Amino acid sequence: MRPPPVLCRRLPRRVFSSVTPLRYSSTAAESAPAYEECDVVVVGGGPVGLALAGALNSSKAVQESLRITLVEAGDLDKIRNWQLPPEKYSNRVSSLTNASHAFLQEIGAWNYVQHERTCPVENMEVWDGISDARINFNASEMATTTPQTHHKGMARLTENLNLQRGLLHFLEKAPGVDLIHQTKVTSINRESDGPGAWPVVDLDNGRRLRARLLVGADGFNSPVRAYAQIPSFGWSYDTQGIVATLIHRPRGAYEGSNTTAYQRFLPTGPIAFLPLSPTVSSLVWSTKPDIAKALQASDTFVLVCMINAAFRLPQLSLQYLYDRIFEAQAKGTPLTAEQVQEEILWREKSHAIDQHSARSTSSTLAPVGIPPADSELFPSLVTSIQDGTVASFPLRFNHTESYLGEGAGARTVLVGDAAHTTHPLAGQGLNLGLGDVECLAKCIESAVLSGNDVGSYTALQPYARERYLINHTMMAAVDKLHKMYTTDFEPVVWARSTGLEVVNELDSLKAAIMMTAGGSGSHKSSSAELSGWGAVAKGVEALSSAAQVARASGGGIGGIVGTGVQSLVKRMTSERH
Amino acid sequence: MDMDTRQHTSTHAPQVMPSMRSSHFSELGDDDSSGLSMGSAMGVEGREGKPPEERVHGPRPVGFEGDEGERENEISHFSKLSAHWWDERGEFEFLHKMNPVRMSFVRQKLLEAARDDGVDSDPTHVLAGLDVLDVGCGGGLLSESLARLGANTLGIDASENNIGIARQHASTDPKLAPASPNSRLIYQHTTAEALLEQPKRFDVVCSMEVLEHVDNPASFLSTCAELVRACTLLRTLTSFPNDFVQPGGHLFLSTISRTPLAYFLTILMAEGVLRKVTSGTHTYSKYIKPSELIQFFEDYRSPTPSTAGLSKDSSTLADHLKSSTRPWITRRSDSYLPRTQAEVRGLIYNPVFGNWILAPKDAWGTLECNYIFWVRKPRDDETK
Repeated sequence: MRPPPVLCRRLPRRVFSSVTPLRYSSTAAESAPAYEECDVVVVGGGPVGLALAGALNSSKAVQESLRITLVEAGDLDKIRNWQLPPEKYSNRVSSLTNASHAFLQEIGAWNYVQHERTCPVENMEVWDGISDARINFNASEMATTTPQTHHKGMARLTENLNLQRGLLHFLEKAPGVDLIHQTKVTSINRESDGPGAWPVVDLDNGRRLRARLLVGADGFNSPVRAYAQIPSFGWSYDTQGIVATLIHRPRGAYEGSNTTAYQRFLPTGPIAFLPLSPTVSSLVWSTKPDIAKALQASDTFVLVCMINAAFRLPQLSLQYLYDRIFEAQAKGTPLTAEQVQEEILWREKSHAIDQHSARSTSSTLAPVGIPPADSELFPSLVTSIQDGTVASFPLRFNHTESYLGEGAGARTVLVGDAAHTTHPLAGQGLNLGLGDVECLAKCIESAVLSGNDVGSYTALQPYARERYLINHTMMAAVDKLHKMYTTDFEPVVWARSTGLEVVNELDSLKAAIMMTAGGSGSHKSSSAELSGWGAVAKGVEALSSAAQVARASGGGIGGIVGTGVQSLVKRMTSERH
Repeated sequence: MDMDTRQHTSTHAPQVMPSMRSSHFSELGDDDSSGLSMGSAMGVEGREGKPPEERVHGPRPVGFEGDEGERENEISHFSKLSAHWWDERGEFEFLHKMNPVRMSFVRQKLLEAARDDGVDSDPTHVLAGLDVLDVGCGGGLLSESLARLGANTLGIDASENNIGIARQHASTDPKLAPASPNSRLIYQHTTAEALLEQPKRFDVVCSMEVLEHVDNPASFLSTCAELVRACTLLRTLTSFPNDFVQPGGHLFLSTISRTPLAYFLTILMAEGVLRKVTSGTHTYSKYIKPSELIQFFEDYRSPTPSTAGLSKDSSTLADHLKSSTRPWITRRSDSYLPRTQAEVRGLIYNPVFGNWILAPKDAWGTLECNYIFWVRKPRDDETK
């Protein structure tokens, strides 16, 4: 989801048939510049690319035998020296699962991440925007904690920049890794005609890298993927994700600490509140593009009011507020914060929301004394937004047909967003990427140990085989959850509005989030993880087909919708025990 | 690697005239004494004075002395397929996938043997510096892996096309290309028998998936066995002042057993039904059972050191060495194979995951199809 780090001018692909590069010649002064022989060339210095370089370097066997080169268009020094005052946070935050956390610890990179800037998630409150059916899950309730997992919480919220900076400091101690930054990949070419040719990466500083293995960690618009001619399929969700760093009041003495993640499923998409510190949290709000555009164009305090309202007001009122903002912007007289606040107050009154309850957005009093009874159900009221942190990006689903290049695109492999892009509702994008990296690094290590060529299809196939299915089932489940919660289809909406069946749906969502967020802490349990995700995917599929049956038969939806997911959840619980 | 063999890198594969395919090999029988008779036959040739490249024989594959036509068929069969050697999804996909498993067995056994010898070997460098011969290297699948792990590797094949493909493929890899200064990989268009004429012997001799294509396996096996180094000085003399004789080298073979299951999988399914392997690649009657291999090495004794062509270093030791040698495998009962002498492990293909598994030792029913065999040359001073 991060913008592609390497902006590649996509030159028409050439084949070096006319130029005969002198690879071993030291006297090739006037001919094409000689190749630099590289074993592994990683394109992309995002968290996934850096983690791969780090993971490879942490293996003694790989370190001794492979030369690793990482190419990044951006300025890595900026990230290496990135520094924010303790109360300020970057707006790009990821929820690292215990599995990802354990992996980073294992390779030795976690010690370089600034721990004070990360925050454990000990609780999750997830509820439905239509019915208010709600589910809570707590790290301590999860029977997945084993003695060897000392990880606190279900996941750990970490700024991407904090992770990247940590990885860069970790890599400073890695002499076997050559980091080339502020350098763009101008083109990638096949060294010669015919199958199995080695890729040659041309850089804008004139260097030419001949790669035994070319790794695309270069994001959604991956130039490596284009070179390898790997097709991908996917769709845009017609949804924008708004991110921002939120400043709020600390939770009161009776409310516990700010370690609860909140997520409300609105029909326009989910809105999430992710804790970073007692007074700072991160926002990920997925919504329709027109709403996102209007909100971003509004005054910051209008956005603050709308965020607070989006966690609390019924959908009907939210839609009314969006419409007011559209109208006012169309007229050229955008609403002021006061006007919005007034509107919200009026809507609250009409919904009979008690001004002193946690549901009310109007209370400006500091939380002293005994908080309202339901205060733990909602996030703290946001008071302001850190300057310059509001941003948005389109959400999409994308999965390549393969992670490995073949034939003319041989010796290429894709990891992270270059291979797959998913909806952020389960917070799994970066975790999937780190899972890829862990698996690929193991695969490369075992190839090195058995003397195999690390660029060969045979050496890399176990990576593709293991990761493709895991990623796909997980992405499919998240995709279906997103679609289920944003559907306009009457019976499903009706079923949800009764609140009876939603609990079941939320259960499957809980299972989905827990499956990786839950982290038994053991990243070796990939098969258990896989079966869990498979069950979610199947269950959700059963649900949607049940809905189709109901559409045909015209009734009785509730019972049918419920059964599918209920049986799924039962199956999953039994699987997990 | 000694200079004799190094020189071959700079020369082309010997151009062999058909007439040069001398018939003196035909006298070799397939009894277990063929090794000995062959050793003396080499001496009779008296080619020592000639430069090494001239001494190398034509593509006279060991064990093919039966029907000339049939031998040519085997060679031309693989020559035709040679272009496919490096197509990892094609004809040789099974071999590509099997390679890491074979390599891990080789490493495992070498490490185990090194530890038995009291040498503290680093698991990742167990092959480093060893002289390894790959007989029937084909496109070089195994040879490349051996060289990458630091072994001074000589790959030989009876098919000139195969050697051409192997050389061409290695030349694209900067770590293996002959032009690169630290290349450890040499290919030669020659036969195991021809190598016997040279004094060079190898720490490890591998011949993977070759035995099932050979007409006279007994003669082939004794040739391979003779190419295994007898004993050498330990490199770290200071640390082992009193124990400087290292036991003999290693022979690794992998092949297919002659069982109904093997027929079903390797011929009926792979060639006939799935058409993954070109029809005619395998011949059922040439398959060899593990028990037959073990039996061969229970009878096989190395020629005495004086004729086995010890290198100069170790020839001074000859006095210390007794001339009587024991068979390579000495076992007291049929169910027991001494761990330090030989090992047989099944190689099982899992069609669901598309990968090969090295079956656990002594697991029931795992030797019914593909298997890998290791045997070690006994120390020359070992008596029965």
